[in-house]
Amino acid sequence: MKTNYLLPNRYKLMGWILFLLGLTGGIYILIVGYEPDILSIDVLSIYNRDGIFGKEKGFLKIIENDIFDELVALAIIIGGLFIVFSKEKIEDEFIYKLRKDSLVWALLFNYAVLIFAIIFVYDFVFFDVLVFNMFTPLIFFILRFNFLKIKSQSHEE
Amino acid sequence: MKNKIKVQRAMHDMTQADLAAKIGVSRQTINAMEKNKYVPSTVLALKIAQLFKTPLEEIFFLDGDE
Repeated sequence: MKTNYLLPNRYKLMGWILFLLGLTGGIYILIVGYEPDILSIDVLSIYNRDGIFGKEKGFLKIIENDIFDELVALAIIIGGLFIVFSKEKIEDEFIYKLRKDSLVWALLFNYAVLIFAIIFVYDFVFFDVLVFNMFTPLIFFILRFNFLKIKSQSHEE
Repeated sequence: MKNKIKVQRAMHDMTQADLAAKIGVSRQTINAMEKNKYVPSTVLALKIAQLFKTPLEEIFFLDGDE
């Protein structure tokens, strides 16, 4: 099966390592509630509006920021993309179908959860929902795809 | 669509894994086709027919009111 958007199989392991590192960091931030404050550096901000964080207002400013959470988010997203978009050991048309079905399922399920959260979750908790929602499409896809894969592996000769 | 892959496989004394390796798919794909859970592409169906040296219609056929 020829597909032009899939990475070689070896990226899968790299993806899992990055993804799990990111997830560990994310859970750490979630439990501790603040960033470790060891990675504060100057970063370029395309647009900043003062308010909650009280930083300089305007376009293209250099501001100081702890980049721990940014690294965590990037690790989860890039790791997740590597997992999702790397080839299986045997990449054939059946896997292609599972991949497509899982994509549709993950997108629908993600928005179903989001709609539920919009209706029933309010105030600052909803901010958490938005944060989780950055990663859930990838996570739901990975869960669904692997579930379908394992289900199709039932031994019957 | 139904198929007689399992019968053909038995006639040629092949396991699911043997057939999978010969036509370049995974064993799960063969398994899913035999359980009628997956309808193969025309290319894959032709490959299977060619391997068993049998006309396509004798392995793959429509089921009832399709």
